[in-house]
Amino acid sequence: MTLPYVFLASSGALIMRLFHVLLVFAGFAIQAHAQTSSLTSPNVSANGLFLYRNSNFAKEDQSKERNGIDLQETELQVYADVDPYTRFNLMLSIHPDYEVDGTTHRVKETWAVEPEEAYAETNQVPMTTIRIGQFKAAFGKHNLLHTHAYPFVDAPLANSALLGEEGLADVGVSAAFLIPVNWYSEVTGQYLRGEGDNTEFNSATPGDAVGLAHWKNLWDLTDDLTMEVGASYAQGNNSLGGTTSLTGGDLTFKWRPANGGKRHSAILAGEYIGRRLDQPGTTTERGEGWNSWGQYQFAERWAALARYDHLQASGANATVNTNALMNGDTDKYSAGLKFLATEFSSYTLEYDYAYGTPSLTGDKAEHKIYLQANFTIGAHPAHSY
Amino acid sequence: MRILLLALTVFSLSAHAKLTVGTTTQDVEAVVKAVGGDEVNTFAVAKGTQDPHQIEAKPSFMVKFRDADLIVSMGLELETAWLVPLLQGSRNTKIAAGTPGNLELGPSLDPIEVAKGAVSRAEGDVHPSGNPHFQLDPIRLGKSALLIADRMGDLDPSHKDLFHANAEKFQKHMEEKTKQWQTRLNKAGVKEFVSYHKTFSYFAERFGIKNTLYLEPKPGIPPTASHIIQVIEDMKARKVKAVLIENFFDDSVRGKLEKEVPGVKVAKVAVYVGGEPSIKTNEQLIEGIVSTLEKMSK
Repeated sequence: MTLPYVFLASSGALIMRLFHVLLVFAGFAIQAHAQTSSLTSPNVSANGLFLYRNSNFAKEDQSKERNGIDLQETELQVYADVDPYTRFNLMLSIHPDYEVDGTTHRVKETWAVEPEEAYAETNQVPMTTIRIGQFKAAFGKHNLLHTHAYPFVDAPLANSALLGEEGLADVGVSAAFLIPVNWYSEVTGQYLRGEGDNTEFNSATPGDAVGLAHWKNLWDLTDDLTMEVGASYAQGNNSLGGTTSLTGGDLTFKWRPANGGKRHSAILAGEYIGRRLDQPGTTTERGEGWNSWGQYQFAERWAALARYDHLQASGANATVNTNALMNGDTDKYSAGLKFLATEFSSYTLEYDYAYGTPSLTGDKAEHKIYLQANFTIGAHPAHSY
Repeated sequence: MRILLLALTVFSLSAHAKLTVGTTTQDVEAVVKAVGGDEVNTFAVAKGTQDPHQIEAKPSFMVKFRDADLIVSMGLELETAWLVPLLQGSRNTKIAAGTPGNLELGPSLDPIEVAKGAVSRAEGDVHPSGNPHFQLDPIRLGKSALLIADRMGDLDPSHKDLFHANAEKFQKHMEEKTKQWQTRLNKAGVKEFVSYHKTFSYFAERFGIKNTLYLEPKPGIPPTASHIIQVIEDMKARKVKAVLIENFFDDSVRGKLEKEVPGVKVAKVAVYVGGEPSIKTNEQLIEGIVSTLEKMSK
């Protein structure tokens, strides 16, 4: 993991520095909202995710995940037009990391501040958006979401296991072309550096990179109902000297009636990700997973959610790959209830049951309860549809 | 030679193609239709049955924006949350903010309720640049027609005179209707009414009717029990008998109001063109509200 700045939680002075950074940005954000973007102050927003967690796995002393209340993540976002040709977007993520000390076997908390995204993109290229910088790769649908926009507290199993704990994100260039047909059809091509957090592509050879293609289509089936279909493919060399390829597909239906849409809406979605990781000298590691989930808004401020999630792996070999998957199947069931006080604050109560990946003591069934609070201040850009 | 002729024909056709004008609401679309007549193609994003504060930026609208020559919005931060992603997602350089293909009406229509000093979201979903709901003011609608005619005339000079003539005709008709509506409302004798949101501020100001009691405690915040009790007390003290609820908001407080305020009349009304299937023009929209207030006064 790239950690430009790492603060040890044991240092009170460093925590205060972090707090001051937050205060400065928060004050800036409030001022920016009042004035909106101007020549001297870009749009600034901040988001805080606070989490209470209780899992039977996390009770074990050496688990990296801790039970109790936590600051899950804070995001600071700054964006504005650079000039008539370009706009710039910077998103910093501040979050705790937990590492198990190899000597004492105690869990240590460190704080990370890292650029989740930092990119410039074109304003004036017809039909195409060209982007350069660090960004979330256009692989599937969930990978593009920031943590505070996840429908559930956790990312799907396939996303966190096959694309990396924080998803597929890297430095590179991207071109997204809107095909001139009468429905929304966008083809995106991306060239990524193939370094950073994404161990599945972390080739040691300089110049090795990742190529990615994504095709997104959306139709209005009726005025109230849309259908989105996406397909993704990425390929690059991995740290073992082999090739890694990713395939993905997603399908989403969204319903919001023109009459009564403030109080009732629904989403039904599914996504598949497959990963083939060549390991020269031994068998190929294959991992694949899929999830399907639904959300029903039953009142102006309330929604219920449910998800089924599956991950399976074969050919994983921890002796040749330190980041190997765990062979076998994992199934996970989630149910949640969301209260949206306003568009700037929401609360989610979620229960997860997972069976498969064992804990440190070999227990295969995990029961987990989350209570998450989500707050946003400032001029936060709209989330994509 | 044939290719050259074909190219010239295509160029000639495109030079005389109708303007395609996208609007954020059906109200603005109705004004554009009144100004452009048969010489423009139009589409609107928000339907009259939807709250324009909370429209989803569907990619299918990006496709429509991709093919537009002009986007006209009400402005004053009403549509910012979804209009910006639609403009960017369209990848249409003709309609980017600040270009001739992008017209925001609100700031040029003498907005009211402009925030004084710093604002905070502790005050709810406020619009620092002013109240954006000018669609219920016939005089400002008339002025908006002239603004639209100017911009469409710049983009399509061959129909500039037609657009201006239509806009002036529309404005004059709205001025005449305003006088008629004023007379009818004076006769009806409605001095004050309650609404759910600050949707009627321009209407109330134009026709000299008080509208300072709202069912939502703060803009964008659903009614609370304690706030409704306070509204009921204020209605009793000020002898307010009329309540207009914008038809996309929840009217579950209707029963409590009817029970607690003697003689109160509560009506759900369309506040945007398209809010009811029969409301297709700006005149029909305002006529519906005036008629409702007349009926409530009887």
